[in-house]
Amino acid sequence: MIQQEIPGKPITVTINGKEYRANEGEILLSVAIREKIEIPHLCYEASLDPYGACRLCMVEVVRKGKREMATSCTLRAADGLEVLTDTPEIVKHRSILFELYLAEAPKSDVIRDMAARYGVTRTRFLKRIEQGDPLGNKCVLCGLCVRACSEIMGAGAINFINRGPYTVVNTPYYAPSRDCFGCGACVRVCPTNAIEMEDAGAERVMKSWSGTRVPLSPCECCGRYYAPRELSASVLARLDTPLKEEIARLCPECRGKHIAREEILAKHGGSAKHA
Amino acid sequence: MDERTLDAIIARHDAPAGRLLGILGEIQNQEGYVSRETLEMLSEKVGVRISQLYGLATFYSYFTLRPVGDHVITICMGTACHVKGAVAILEALEGLLGIKSDVTDDGKLSITTIDRKFTVEIARCFGACSMAPVLRIDGNLYGYATPEDLPGILGEYGWKP
Repeated sequence: MIQQEIPGKPITVTINGKEYRANEGEILLSVAIREKIEIPHLCYEASLDPYGACRLCMVEVVRKGKREMATSCTLRAADGLEVLTDTPEIVKHRSILFELYLAEAPKSDVIRDMAARYGVTRTRFLKRIEQGDPLGNKCVLCGLCVRACSEIMGAGAINFINRGPYTVVNTPYYAPSRDCFGCGACVRVCPTNAIEMEDAGAERVMKSWSGTRVPLSPCECCGRYYAPRELSASVLARLDTPLKEEIARLCPECRGKHIAREEILAKHGGSAKHA
Repeated sequence: MDERTLDAIIARHDAPAGRLLGILGEIQNQEGYVSRETLEMLSEKVGVRISQLYGLATFYSYFTLRPVGDHVITICMGTACHVKGAVAILEALEGLLGIKSDVTDDGKLSITTIDRKFTVEIARCFGACSMAPVLRIDGNLYGYATPEDLPGILGEYGWKP
């Protein structure tokens, strides 16, 4: 997991001929995102270490008059760093990548829209559409879900399986996982919305992960199922706050109401009347 | 694999670098394949998630996840062997053993005869290109192989027409 970053000293970087303030050591892609300079990317996730898997965020770095390509998600800002984001080389590289992604994830709207924004609407590569693919032919194998599951959550329920063109992400043996908390971190980080999860009554079903089922716990007040049981138990064990009791029993909505009522009672005394 | 054998294997691999691959390699060598039960037991013992072990075992073509026959025949399908007729050898072998090979969803080709005597697999390169086409049975290499040689070679391993 990423260490808490200490901001480096303020420096200046040049992107497409314009100067921007940044902190030394900051990831160039995050500078670009902050400054609203468009660089396409799929596998960048601020809460994880830079990985450089999707190759879409390539920029050209100008050094001593020479240019070389680098992924902006692994490039660290340094004083005087100069990059270009839309050179003919980059445009060519990006177009090929989009064509490859269109073939790799033919059912992904995210990829289709992103590629179209950069003028790529068709692919010359063979589209591989697999019937019954648990990830709906939308996965680009960027690995964010695998890393979020293992590096952030410490669950390690999913991983890459096989190799080369046969590589997929799923649970071992395509069997329901005992390591999955049902936290849904994988669903959140997935750049192509490939992972399906559904709350059905007292259970959360990880539809993409071999139908893994995780029990949910209900809110004591309204009865709504709101959090995976095991996950809340492990989070609560680490929490040290006076609110612990309420967090353990109430869903966020009822917790809000509960706190508001306590506040009112504390101010005015007496009893609160239920409507 | 029984627990004691697995414990002995784990004990032999205490250096962190390459530890899991070393253990998995020994399991593969002793059992001929890596069973789900063994992988689950190993996960418990070394404190590594089963997803990581399964990822490793499916990544390397060295590991087999299904039980294999008494003799494992590996046909080299590297470039040199392919050009020199490895496909014809595979087809001849299928005919002799009465099996039809097919690539499974993990991209590996492995098929075992019904009587569990032979398993046919393919490999991408043995590094023995000078003797192409090459096949290997239980660790013995056969170079310059032709479909006509096969009955004789198989005969050494108890095959009868």
